[in-house]
Amino acid sequence: MSSRGHVLIDADAMLGRHPARDVGAGTVAEALAGMDRFGISEALVGHMLSWLHDPRTGNRALLELVADQPRLHPCWVMLPDTCGEMGTPAEFVTAALEGGVRAVRAYPVDHGYDLAGVDAAPVLDTVAEAGLPLLLDAAQTTWPQVEAISAARPHLTIVVGGLGYRVLRQAAGVLARTENVHLGLANLSSHCGLEWLVERFGEKRLVFGTGAPTRDPAEAVTRLLWSELGDGAVAAIGAGNLRSLLREKARVA
Amino acid sequence: MNPLTSALWERRPQHGLRIVDAHAHAGPYSLFFIPEAGPAGMVRVMDRCGVAHAVLSSHLAIQLDAAAGNAATAAVVDHAPDRFTGYLTVNPWQDPVGEIEKWGDDPRFGGIKLHPDLHIYPLTGPRYAPVWEFAQRTGCPVLTHTYDGSAYNDLPMVEETATRYPDAVILAGHAGATPLGFDTAIEVAQRHSGVVLEVCGSYNTGADLARMVREVGPRQVVFGSDFPFIDLRMSLGRVVFSDLSDDARAAVLGGTMTDLLQWRDRTRQARSSQVIAP
Repeated sequence: MSSRGHVLIDADAMLGRHPARDVGAGTVAEALAGMDRFGISEALVGHMLSWLHDPRTGNRALLELVADQPRLHPCWVMLPDTCGEMGTPAEFVTAALEGGVRAVRAYPVDHGYDLAGVDAAPVLDTVAEAGLPLLLDAAQTTWPQVEAISAARPHLTIVVGGLGYRVLRQAAGVLARTENVHLGLANLSSHCGLEWLVERFGEKRLVFGTGAPTRDPAEAVTRLLWSELGDGAVAAIGAGNLRSLLREKARVA
Repeated sequence: MNPLTSALWERRPQHGLRIVDAHAHAGPYSLFFIPEAGPAGMVRVMDRCGVAHAVLSSHLAIQLDAAAGNAATAAVVDHAPDRFTGYLTVNPWQDPVGEIEKWGDDPRFGGIKLHPDLHIYPLTGPRYAPVWEFAQRTGCPVLTHTYDGSAYNDLPMVEETATRYPDAVILAGHAGATPLGFDTAIEVAQRHSGVVLEVCGSYNTGADLARMVREVGPRQVVFGSDFPFIDLRMSLGRVVFSDLSDDARAAVLGGTMTDLLQWRDRTRQARSSQVIAP
């Protein structure tokens, strides 16, 4: 527990600059200062370079940035292997595991591929076999795509963040029909939506994340701590669920 | 750590400040599912955080039917009169004069709500003239939706309205809604003291909010959440953690809006001083 009484691990954070938002330089120092401001003890971080420029370069840069940062855990960005940009799926996943990567993120809209199509299937299969959770932003996919990749890979942990306030009708259906789809707290902004989701699907389907630095971590922190959930559920969503997912997957690997 | 963040970390409601939500709604909405969209769920969320009051317009009023929706707004206020004040929604296509005449003196309503984007009618259009004349005459604050780049409620239209009606109080809902919109909204508010920036939305951050307060002062920035369209805690958290002085935070969270809602008292006092003046 932190001095503030609640452990929070951010599953949805990013290093690096953003071309269209004033988010600072995106340095490790800034990320850590932001985490301290909001009482966040650890974070799973990606790199803007991997998202908005070149995944291969960004993934490598990320490992260098977090190499001596015990509070920051690297999250790589995947691509389909159709153009050989990341090597074979096996080479990509092997390098990720050797680098201490804890999860993989996909940007199918921004990177121009179909997440549920045949092109992405080999790398998704390999990521699932390695036990690496797959993180997605809701704007980068569709709920039918999420459900399709979930059904095809029941052991792949999927966390969908960046939900906004308009998605419960679709998300609830997918949660009801799957067991391996989880929702992230970054911009989970339906009125009483967090409480409704926990009541309906259980606290284990939710994972704390902020969307920093493009989103203000104040949103997710306040949404969780001033929720109507009990302390046990807050502890699970704040840190326990992500730790379990990462530990379970590590054991599988 | 300020007293609000202390309360948050201890998971108890804050009671140090009077928090007034200047931008709220109530009821269901067709485009998406809202759990517990009625007043009981809203009061529970307010109690959980320590929000004293919310000023609201029903979703029915803004989305479909101003007459039925204003009655629905009044019913929500009746549910908890000490916690809610209504915005009278004026739809330019649905008898603006009649709605103002019907509800303008009803104490359940403390402001007027316009949503030009939803009603596909420009903020500067003549069908809104009765609203601005009422606002200019009485001091009744008018909350309008704003969105950077909109054909119906972009910030230059707020500026044009503020120029035409310099005594009207215009709450610029969402303060332009986007990072670029925030810049423009600040510039408009700097030129027009009657323009007050309301800060709810999906793209605002505590840093944006602090910049607004630095640039225009805490008396021209008010907290709103847009709940139950969006959960109240999203916007509230940004203000709670933002880099503001205690006085500025108190003004933004409730002090300014509390003052703005006293327009009927001010009108009464003005009339009474005219009567007794020799």
